[in-house]
Amino acid sequence: MNTWRKILKNRKKEIGLLIIFAAVLVFVSQDAFLYQETVVKVTSVENKFSHSEEGLNEEEEAYYEQAIEGQILNGKRKGEKIVLSNTYSASGVNDERYRKGDRLFVTVSDEESTGTLLGKKRDFYLVLLLGIFLYLLLVINRWHGGIILLSLILNIGIFLIALSDYGKGGNLIRISVLLMLIFSVLTLLFAGGIHKKTFVAIISTLSTTFLCYLIYEIILHTSARLPYEMMDYVVNPTDLSDLFFAGTLMGSLGAVMDVSISIAAGVSEIMEKTPDIERKALIRSIREMGYDIMGTMINVLFFTYISSAIPIMVIKIKNGYTLYHLINFQLIFEVIRFLLGSIGIVLAIPVAGFFSVLFLHSTKLLLRRKIK
Amino acid sequence: MILKLLILLFVLMVLVGGNRGLDSFLALARTVIAFIVNVYLITWGMPPLFTTFLVSVFFVITVLYSQNGKNVKMDAAVMAVTLVLFVIALTSGPILWRAGMSGYNEVEQYEEISMYLSPNLAIPMSAVSLSAVMLGLLGAIMDTAVAITTAVHEVYVNQKDLSEKQLVQSGMTVGRDILGTTVNTLFFAGLGESIMLAVLFMKNEDTVSVILNSKALFQEVSGIAIGAIGCLLIIPLSSILIAHFLKNSEENGSKKPDLLQKCYNYIKKHLKNIKKMVQ
Repeated sequence: MNTWRKILKNRKKEIGLLIIFAAVLVFVSQDAFLYQETVVKVTSVENKFSHSEEGLNEEEEAYYEQAIEGQILNGKRKGEKIVLSNTYSASGVNDERYRKGDRLFVTVSDEESTGTLLGKKRDFYLVLLLGIFLYLLLVINRWHGGIILLSLILNIGIFLIALSDYGKGGNLIRISVLLMLIFSVLTLLFAGGIHKKTFVAIISTLSTTFLCYLIYEIILHTSARLPYEMMDYVVNPTDLSDLFFAGTLMGSLGAVMDVSISIAAGVSEIMEKTPDIERKALIRSIREMGYDIMGTMINVLFFTYISSAIPIMVIKIKNGYTLYHLINFQLIFEVIRFLLGSIGIVLAIPVAGFFSVLFLHSTKLLLRRKIK
Repeated sequence: MILKLLILLFVLMVLVGGNRGLDSFLALARTVIAFIVNVYLITWGMPPLFTTFLVSVFFVITVLYSQNGKNVKMDAAVMAVTLVLFVIALTSGPILWRAGMSGYNEVEQYEEISMYLSPNLAIPMSAVSLSAVMLGLLGAIMDTAVAITTAVHEVYVNQKDLSEKQLVQSGMTVGRDILGTTVNTLFFAGLGESIMLAVLFMKNEDTVSVILNSKALFQEVSGIAIGAIGCLLIIPLSSILIAHFLKNSEENGSKKPDLLQKCYNYIKKHLKNIKKMVQ
């Protein structure tokens, strides 16, 4: 009893957060009334084996029929029972299996109590995942986490504003340059505070990104045209290359900022501890820091970019595509993103080192000379 | 284009990093090979989740031990990464499974390419998707774990009289500092990837409800969110593990590293057998 009371007392904030989180989840699970589309809650499902099809490599793929009974949760016909049907395969490449308790979007037919399935309602799971992230962020990182959260929210807001500007016909290149500027200044200010190292990190991030841009342009114009039609979510054929390029630079921005602030912070730490360090010794420790960062950061980028392509890789390999085709057509955009991001990481080390020495080391010496 | 970028990357890495740059490049090559082996093992009908888990643990062990030597720091890092992978698979797995995030999303469904690919694979795509998510966070959690255990070890070497609790505290402090930039890296990588999707949603003039409930958005967001959750989980875990190892290794020898060594040897042996079977 006492221990419980103690826990309650010491963990007030955590428990409060947990209660808020739970309340939000309950609300989202009951939010059908907010939707204009008809939402149906699945009350029972009966699965029946339908037939099996043969794949390309003599696999047996089983198909099942689902008889779904559900209840309408919103709109004029709220509370009515409805019967739906669905087919799914064991692999689930191009179809969906529904289970009891799922919320589905349905177009209800006017006369009968049946309708067509439009898809699953996923907002609950989206909120659940983001909620777990936010909860852990605030519990493990306290006010630090709050700052990270604030910078993420601001960045997303700016991104959305830029997107709507682009939708109104704004110039993509101008928008992305502005975006890069705002993103790096904002994020680094949040990460480093108002400090000289933040200033150094911002300058080196922008210079490195500019270098990446030059490299990309040069290589793009000396190589064969990229098969932009193969990109995911192809929209408008006229500005595909610009869109892809903007996304690539934005993706490398995070990694470049990471490296820049790490090196700038490291140098300012060294300068604090040993203010009269020789320039050569400082450069040596920057190189040392660089080695440590390089390998791990490139690893991070590799896994983040390439692993999202696993499902489509599996599907294509099973359909007889070779690794060569995959890398040159399917994965090409992920691979270019990854490679350019890695080049950004490696470039950021000497660039950030240069600016750190220039602004953090030399100014100190100058100041001392003046005092003398 | 890929080849040119690759050569440029190689040259830059050697220029900036010298011998160790070369090492990093070779490590990258190994990563790529492990990744491709994993994908092929899945297409050959191995259970996706199990395979991914084994390959990632094997990968983590070889990379960390070969890059940083076999020591307490790496033991703790390896254990922390394995535990986080396990926890993520157990907790996020059911969420992703219920949310139905596998297979083609709404957009891909109507692309030409998915029309003529055979969907009869006899491979559960839900498990493949979860494997992809788990691999996606592997790099970030390895990075964080190594940074924390190395820093805590450094603190311990300089001040041996710190208690286990104080060591955990210092690990948490280091972790908090790293987390901000790691989350940023993941966030911007995700933002860059989803720019096409965002433009597509806008051009289609989809309503908020369609976007929020779409599989495409869920696939993008869940990857970033779970990556970040992994990075958060690994902070206390690796701090506690390294503090525990450091404090206990001086008292009663090194019991836990032995167990790890056994696991390592076991997996190594098994992989050799698999390789033999393949050949």
